Amino acid sequence: MQCDRCDQQASVHLRESIEGTVREVHYCLECAQRLGVAPLDPAVVLPLESILQKFVLAHLGEIVGELARRRCPCCRISFMEFRSVGRLGCPHDYTAFHQGLVPLLGRAHGATRHVGKRPRRRPTRGPELIQLRTALAAAVAEQDYETAAQLRDAIRDASKDATS
Amino acid sequence: MNLDDLTRTSGEWLRGTGSESDIVMCSRIRLARNLATYPFTNRASRGDKAEIEREVRTAIARVDPQLHYLDVHVLNPLDRQFLVERQLISRELMTAEGPRGVAIGPEENVSIMVNEEDHLRLQVMHSGLSLHEVWERINQLDDALEESLDFAFHSQLGYLTACPTNVGTGIRVGVMLHLPALVQSREIEKVFRALHKINLAVRGLYGEGTQAFGDFYQISNQQTLGKSEAETIRTINDIIPQVIEYERRARKELLENRRQNLHDQVSRAYGVLKTAHQISSEETMHLLSSVRMGINLGLIDDLEIPTVNELFIHTQPAHLQKIQGRHLEVDDRNVARAQYLRSRLANGRHQAN
Repeated sequence: MQCDRCDQQASVHLRESIEGTVREVHYCLECAQRLGVAPLDPAVVLPLESILQKFVLAHLGEIVGELARRRCPCCRISFMEFRSVGRLGCPHDYTAFHQGLVPLLGRAHGATRHVGKRPRRRPTRGPELIQLRTALAAAVAEQDYETAAQLRDAIRDASKDATS
Repeated sequence: MNLDDLTRTSGEWLRGTGSESDIVMCSRIRLARNLATYPFTNRASRGDKAEIEREVRTAIARVDPQLHYLDVHVLNPLDRQFLVERQLISRELMTAEGPRGVAIGPEENVSIMVNEEDHLRLQVMHSGLSLHEVWERINQLDDALEESLDFAFHSQLGYLTACPTNVGTGIRVGVMLHLPALVQSREIEKVFRALHKINLAVRGLYGEGTQAFGDFYQISNQQTLGKSEAETIRTINDIIPQVIEYERRARKELLENRRQNLHDQVSRAYGVLKTAHQISSEETMHLLSSVRMGINLGLIDDLEIPTVNELFIHTQPAHLQKIQGRHLEVDDRNVARAQYLRSRLANGRHQAN
């Protein structure tokens, strides 16, 4: 397949779908590098997230760019990380990325509203507890045991009355 | 639960009983659930996963003491593979890391995976076409677990899952069918296309991305948002009898137009299985499929369907190694498999374990 921008053979194939419009692009490595959608040099391996972010920013406009940079305040995953791995980080992401997820759900399910069973119990402190657990994992990773101990106490207190 | 004991039995779903069981192997429903107060499994720390496991395990023990919990992370790789072959855990749970487990019910009708892609994956299976009974059981189980677990739920989007393709009801309703005549007449592709058009998925015996070994196909829903559990079950329940009808028609045509060939094919398949001295898993599945159809069409009369169903599972690599009680490389497995088949199929009427 030929590169969309020159006569060379395309080796970078990207597909992005936003608001129902599917867009496919095919570039040779050189053009892809110039456009910032492929690493500049094989030795310099950019994280997938930044490659995708560059691509999204370059081609899909500022709103998507803002969304791409958005992070869930609870589990700290970014929308672009979700798009690259296909899995969300925590239940609160459905609220944090609502704007980006709803069109995606519409395409996958043909609907955006749940019909069916509902639980009787409704937890009230889910996001707060996830935030605390994420902070705890970070504190443990950094060997900041004093903060970790405080966070464990906070988790214990919050868990006591987590359900309405 | 001693896993070695399981090598001498098989799950209820292999019994070959229930409605339309000549074509329908089993009906299965799974529900995906997550705890509201933890990150999803892929973002959860080891400590989080251990906590999730503890909470869920306590809830499971309270709900049904007959559910036996296995720590998958301490099992050896062979035992994990063994559970995959029995359809009790997924490949994802087998290869995942950190604290995780599965609770298994007596007769292997129920399994609850913990810390798979979602914190909980509830599964209920029954032999034959029996989705209503399966739903009743899994719905009860879900209600009972919810008494002590806070599931993540969003008023607009329903039950929240790690992958947005499962959000809403979190339900997957699947029926496993044996469709050898549609495969032989090459009409299966037409059936697949029709099913894809109405957003139903077709998978092999071992789920997503697996080849349809032994002509077994699992037909299931893909969409979980905007359709109630009852509607999803109804859609599958409405479509399955049509697929069964196609398969029956294809079998009838084979019998009418190619009876001699069919009888020859079935008898040769049976003959090879009874006499071979080395045989691969793939060839075994292929030949067992012919034999299974042969029994249902009255071309073989000294073998029972449950035995054949069981052989599909017991001749898988991990099962063979557990039965033999030792590690076997591929070539040795092929010899052991042939030996096992010969012993199970030798002389007279054969019964399932």
